[in-house]
Amino acid sequence: MIKGMLSNFKKYSFLMSQMVERDFKVKYKRSVLGILWSLLNPILMMIVLALVFSNLFKARVEGINYLAYLMIGLVMFNFLNEATNTSMYSIISNYPLIKKVYLPKYIFPLSKCLFVGINFLLTLIPLLGVILFTGSGATKCIINIYYLLIPYSFICMFFFIVGVSFILSTLAVFFKDILYIYGIVTTIWQYFTPIFYDISILPETLQKIFPLNPMYQFITFVRTIILYGNIPSVTNFIMCAFYGIFFFVIGCFVFKANQDKFIYYI
Amino acid sequence: MIKVENVTMKFKLGKERSDSLKETFVKFITGKHKKEELFTALDNVSFHVDKGEVIGIIGKNGAGKSTLLKIVSGVMKPTTGRVTVNGAISPMIELGAGFDMELTARENIFLNGAVLGYSKKFLTEKFDEIVEFSELKEFLDVPVKNFSSGMIAKLAFSIATVVNPEILIVDEILSVGDIQFQEKSKNKMMEMISGGTTVLFVSHNMEQIKSLCTKAIWLEKGKIRKIGSTIEICEEFENEVLKKEKRK
Repeated sequence: MIKGMLSNFKKYSFLMSQMVERDFKVKYKRSVLGILWSLLNPILMMIVLALVFSNLFKARVEGINYLAYLMIGLVMFNFLNEATNTSMYSIISNYPLIKKVYLPKYIFPLSKCLFVGINFLLTLIPLLGVILFTGSGATKCIINIYYLLIPYSFICMFFFIVGVSFILSTLAVFFKDILYIYGIVTTIWQYFTPIFYDISILPETLQKIFPLNPMYQFITFVRTIILYGNIPSVTNFIMCAFYGIFFFVIGCFVFKANQDKFIYYI
Repeated sequence: MIKVENVTMKFKLGKERSDSLKETFVKFITGKHKKEELFTALDNVSFHVDKGEVIGIIGKNGAGKSTLLKIVSGVMKPTTGRVTVNGAISPMIELGAGFDMELTARENIFLNGAVLGYSKKFLTEKFDEIVEFSELKEFLDVPVKNFSSGMIAKLAFSIATVVNPEILIVDEILSVGDIQFQEKSKNKMMEMISGGTTVLFVSHNMEQIKSLCTKAIWLEKGKIRKIGSTIEICEEFENEVLKKEKRK
């Protein structure tokens, strides 16, 4: 079965690459700066947030480069937000195609996740700039050997996102309401993820619940390495993998069980 | 090559389809959810097609012709029954389904080609052939949204017919473009058919069916009314339709 899946995957990899390419072309068509916006957008966003949070609110987390702290959380959460939101629409907005040609349907959410994923990798370039060139003295970040572990968190997060996207794109076919509900869910989710603040300012009971949030695990993993120069804890390692695999498997299961019914509902 | 066994296809018509949680909830409470009407698009259809046969499928609108093609090409799964297909299928059910209107013709050739399952190598090799056949060389870098519908159809036809498939599924596409292109596309079709391809062909044009097909299937209200030689079935079909028309 796995062999069949792989050969199927290989057969449609060209289509997948074409669809990701299409997304890039359509997104930047007729804008003067084109793909540069993938870099400029996060840079501008970072400047705005740096002004608002570090200067206006004087927000800080003791002993570390707050701007880098904020940006790591934000860039990672934005990846989740954008990928799941665009994937959610991927099945319903491709209905003309699904109704007419046979294609494996997982291609639609997956290609959206890949597209946003590539964009995410591009935003890491300005992020690295922030990490290396802001902060001073004790809060200065220095590249260390543990940086090699960072992709581990990103890969786990990617699987998590694909899993969530599969579930959302399936739900969107049967209950259109999810399109509106999920917008609110992500807003709440964002505030319940320590992006702007540190978990230590919260009451103790909350501090115990927060690590159940998958995004907390992925972000903490990266922050531990970049801001504190430490290797992430064993629990952190395990939780990242657990959430990645768990949601991916559930997502695949939900998607597969329902994909043949899509055509009657969209 | 193609074996269709006892295929039945039922649709929900969507009259009272619940799209939102609230509606679902209300229906659940009032017990209305059980009364979903089902429409039988295909009713226990069985037939088989041998290699190299060209089968015409005729019938009035809503007889289930397109549904049948969609089931054979794998777009839909039948409610009950089984379809076995040996060989690579090239569906030409709706041309240009994979087009992105924002992209240029050149980009769409690759995108739509990928949707139809062509490989990158194949597309690069056949690119010139596609362009030449479509007669759209000057418009290659124009976004497809600025094309006329005839131009889009020509491009789509050229991409779809560049392959030599083992099984070709055609839904009413010979009426594409202007008269000259129609002639050209018909010849292309003939060429593909005479190359030993197995074809399933839906059309309302009896002349086309008569000139292309070796066998015909007459569908009526989801059931097979008759299978047999093309001429015989087409004439019977035409007679009946005309008779009804006269009676009115």
